[in-house]
Amino acid sequence: MSLTKADKMVIVALMILALGLLIPLFNNAPQSNLAKVYVKDSEVLSIDLSQDSSYTVEGTNGEVKIEVKDHQIRVTQENSPHHLCSKQGFVSDPNTPIVCLPNETVVRIEGGAQQDTMIQ
Amino acid sequence: MKVQKTVELAFLMGAGIVLQITESFLPVSWILPGFKIGFANITGLFALQMYGISAMWLVNLGRVFLACLCQGTLFSVTFWISLAGALLSMAGMSIAYRMKCFSVFGVSVVGASMHSVGQVLMVTWIYQQYFMQLFLPVLLALSIVSGLCTGGLTQLLMKRWKGRNV
Repeated sequence: MSLTKADKMVIVALMILALGLLIPLFNNAPQSNLAKVYVKDSEVLSIDLSQDSSYTVEGTNGEVKIEVKDHQIRVTQENSPHHLCSKQGFVSDPNTPIVCLPNETVVRIEGGAQQDTMIQ
Repeated sequence: MKVQKTVELAFLMGAGIVLQITESFLPVSWILPGFKIGFANITGLFALQMYGISAMWLVNLGRVFLACLCQGTLFSVTFWISLAGALLSMAGMSIAYRMKCFSVFGVSVVGASMHSVGQVLMVTWIYQQYFMQLFLPVLLALSIVSGLCTGGLTQLLMKRWKGRNV
């Protein structure tokens, strides 16, 4: 290995950039009570996270079953080759959505700090 | 273009296609979605070091098109993501090569990191989902490692190539 000075500078700069981009991710994790389910880019379901229950949506490969428990949400059953989204388990963070690419389904908690109170 | 150069570039392109298809069988993307070591870039780097910038563009663009044609993903989402990564990484590598102060490792690291930036940009643009940017810092950190890896392999290849013809 023969790294020149410029090589080392680029590597250090990239490391700093990577660390710098990581910082804002840990700072904003607002509590939210609303999760939304998207199939093929269109919103199909809006879920209240304060009530424990289960839902079913129609994905590309068949039914996708979603369960809500203790302000957390997970995919329990779906039809896909690797079952990545059901293996992911419970999610409670707006920054980590559940993505089931074979079913073209995305479950994400909406970062709704601005919807903290609602007057009806 | 001389016949010898044409043949050598064609060989490089062919080797790149094989590397890209072989790499898609490796389950490295379990570490992180979208992560690859990028062995196919060895051929591009090698062409850059041996013949200059235009040869690298030829080899890498041809490789992306033909490998996607072989895998049956031409003009699908995978292809566009791959193309965006390749274009941005080649732009980065061309600039780094022009600056003359980088070795193979530096050029390779720049290329690898620009590749992940290009992929993330394309994914966010196609899917309109911004969570992919959350992977960017980790992808950048890993691309330093993979860039050094491909750079080292290219240097080994160049050492063995010295004074040889096809």
